[in-house]
Amino acid sequence: MLRMRGISKSFGSVHANRSIDLEVAPGRIVGLLGENGSGKTTLMNILFGIVPPDAGTIVFKGRPLVGHSPREAIAAGIGMIHQHFMLVPAMTVTENVMLGWEATGRWLRPAGVAQQISSASSAYGLGLDPAARVELLPLGAQQRVEIVKAVLRGAELLVLDEPTSSLSPPEVAGLLRILRRLREEGRSVIFISHKLGEVLEVCDEVVVLRDGGVAGRVGAASVDRHELARMMVGREVNAPLDRIARAPGAERLVVANLTARDALEIERVRGLSFSVRAGEVLALVGVDGNGQAELARVIVGIERPTGGAVFVDGADVTAGGVAARRAAGLAHVPADRATTGLVTDMTIAENLALRAFDEPPLRHGPWLDPDAMTELARERIADFAIRAPGPATVVRTLSGGNQQKIVLARELGSRPAVLVAEQPTRGLDPGATRFVIDQVIALRAAGAAVLYVTTELEEALLVADRIGVMHQGRLVGLLRREHVDLGRLGLMMAGALEEPSDPAALYGVPTP
Amino acid sequence: MRPLLAVLLALALTALLIVAAGKNPLLAYAALGRGALGSWDRVGVGLNKATPYVLTGIGVALCFRARVINIGAEGQIALGGLAATWIALMFPQAPPVVLPLLALAAGALTGAGWAALAAAIRLHRGVHEVLVTLLLNFVGVLIVSEALQGSLGEPGAGFPQSPLLPRASWLPRVLKGSDLHAGIVIAVIVVVLAHVLLWRMPFGFRLRVLGASTPAAVYAGISPPRALLGVMSLAGALAGLAGAVEVLGVHYRLIDGFSHGFGFNAVAIALLGALNPITVLPAGLFFGFLETGALAMQRAVGVPTPLVAVIQGLTMIFILSAMGLSARRSKV
Repeated sequence: MLRMRGISKSFGSVHANRSIDLEVAPGRIVGLLGENGSGKTTLMNILFGIVPPDAGTIVFKGRPLVGHSPREAIAAGIGMIHQHFMLVPAMTVTENVMLGWEATGRWLRPAGVAQQISSASSAYGLGLDPAARVELLPLGAQQRVEIVKAVLRGAELLVLDEPTSSLSPPEVAGLLRILRRLREEGRSVIFISHKLGEVLEVCDEVVVLRDGGVAGRVGAASVDRHELARMMVGREVNAPLDRIARAPGAERLVVANLTARDALEIERVRGLSFSVRAGEVLALVGVDGNGQAELARVIVGIERPTGGAVFVDGADVTAGGVAARRAAGLAHVPADRATTGLVTDMTIAENLALRAFDEPPLRHGPWLDPDAMTELARERIADFAIRAPGPATVVRTLSGGNQQKIVLARELGSRPAVLVAEQPTRGLDPGATRFVIDQVIALRAAGAAVLYVTTELEEALLVADRIGVMHQGRLVGLLRREHVDLGRLGLMMAGALEEPSDPAALYGVPTP
Repeated sequence: MRPLLAVLLALALTALLIVAAGKNPLLAYAALGRGALGSWDRVGVGLNKATPYVLTGIGVALCFRARVINIGAEGQIALGGLAATWIALMFPQAPPVVLPLLALAAGALTGAGWAALAAAIRLHRGVHEVLVTLLLNFVGVLIVSEALQGSLGEPGAGFPQSPLLPRASWLPRVLKGSDLHAGIVIAVIVVVLAHVLLWRMPFGFRLRVLGASTPAAVYAGISPPRALLGVMSLAGALAGLAGAVEVLGVHYRLIDGFSHGFGFNAVAIALLGALNPITVLPAGLFFGFLETGALAMQRAVGVPTPLVAVIQGLTMIFILSAMGLSARRSKV
């Protein structure tokens, strides 16, 4: 159905794609796997006509696509579903489907389109109400709106870019069912992901990209995760360190009956209580948007809680701001690397000094000490194996993995008592993910308490001693790792199951 | 290199306009050059003209660094001039070194206070700083008019201006045979201090982080309201200082409307100087010399002075376009 041959594209001196061949047969789901920066997005942007290739040919359904626009790609039968949905939140499902659709004609006929949406919805099991406003739909349903948009426009090849990154496990299962249903009809799917498990589960074949070239092309049945990870990274990815079993020590982080609101004054954290002990990792899992971000913000002092208290090493830090909590030993890896964790237009040295510039040794009396900053940067670059030309390198020019290493170097380098890590591996390739997890486990071994917020269950199982599940601002379950049942955890994340917390996991929870 | 090219392009385009006005552009530019730099006296006049531009331009540049869009320099200059005048008239017997210093300090403090008022309205009432600073300009300028109509006005002058200030309050001349006053020395010192502040002190680091990303600043423990109040007050102090320098060094009296146009030129100079204190200096000098040269050009060739505003405008457009262009290039 699709045959891309010898696709090459350079941006300046960067070769984003080097002579890539990609073939997709009718009725096949092809996984496109690769680290960030391996060329997946560029290749798909070329296919969809967003950027022109420097060399190479695209043949779709026997017809060559040359110098095409996204509009022509859609007309030819290619549907693209971006990671960030291209929907108008204030409009209904029907209106979003009609938007920019030429077949709508000169006159709008919403009833007819709604009819088509309903029938497609029941055919593929999408469960969509054509009259629902998009902003009120959960993310999984918004994604199905994108799918129905593409299908009604006659897409025979669907490209899904990281489609599962903000879905709960049951929603992911639902998406994979829909993709299989599309395959039965003879449509093809390109499934872009870095999650090996999903790729192996749904794809017929897998193409692995690395450094802009094809690193491997295998049938999904004949390969395992380990092999795929090796192809992606280009070297062995070892299984993570075995964690030293250790008796948890004193409570270092205590959160008591905490409540918090977001910028729109909606209550997002509803009376949370838990504690994390020295040498322990507590992972908070949950679908994005269930209060994890707000919880982290009030714990580290960026926002004030509307009620409750936070203790670090027994001291009540609720009244203090970010600086006071940092002084109390609280480190923070924020979820948003690009605009919160780092100032990407500043240098590595300045970013490593971002939270400590106003205290010795980086400040001497009223003066900043650039030499001390450079010295600190040299040390951290070496300690954390940051791949960069030097302390004066501007952070924007580095890869995502190296950027995150800067954040970790700054936050862990200060030997914190408590670390709050929000989605620290989001968007990282397996090698960099492994690095982050190793660092967190090393910090645990050093006796710190770690609160690890993630949407990835597998990752939580890897790092955590206990796992708490957040749903709509509350803890709907708190389990020791040994007692975790993945299926039940998934249901809890979706809010379909709440169970009394595992008594063995409940120690140290302050009574409100 | 790029700013120079932009200036040349602006001059070339303006030359076409001069031709269209029926004059010889080469003669016009020669007159402009002579008027700006033809003698020590002319250089002195140009430097005097540039001094308030540099001072206010630095303040605006520091604000813009922190993404605080302060366009209130004009009102701050006006009130700074008013405060300096008041001090000079109140204490005519004070010794000659103390009086100008006192008057300059009063100007700076008043400018800072006026800017802090804008910052407070921004922070406590949530009105955007562009609106607050813009509107306070009118209030500030009108307060000066009101004072000159009333107690501070010169009786029987026929024009709203204050009486001549006591000689002891005048800024000393620094170059024999020219009008050049000590203000330029103050401006150069401020340039150096601002450079050190921005690149070598915690406050400057805060401003740069805040300007790059507010969430990162909050994460770093920086208080955006405190930084906003600080940088606005500082910019107000520099603008107030500029107003005082203009009164004590050039006019020796407060004249209605003396601050007209300074505030917006300060914004242009800050941008032309790439928001960097060191490069704001040449940007301010360029504007100053261009204006003194323009007057000479008008006298010699009869080219209307508004064409200078055209050169300034075109230079700005070319330079900002060039900067936008390079930003886009570096992104790819």
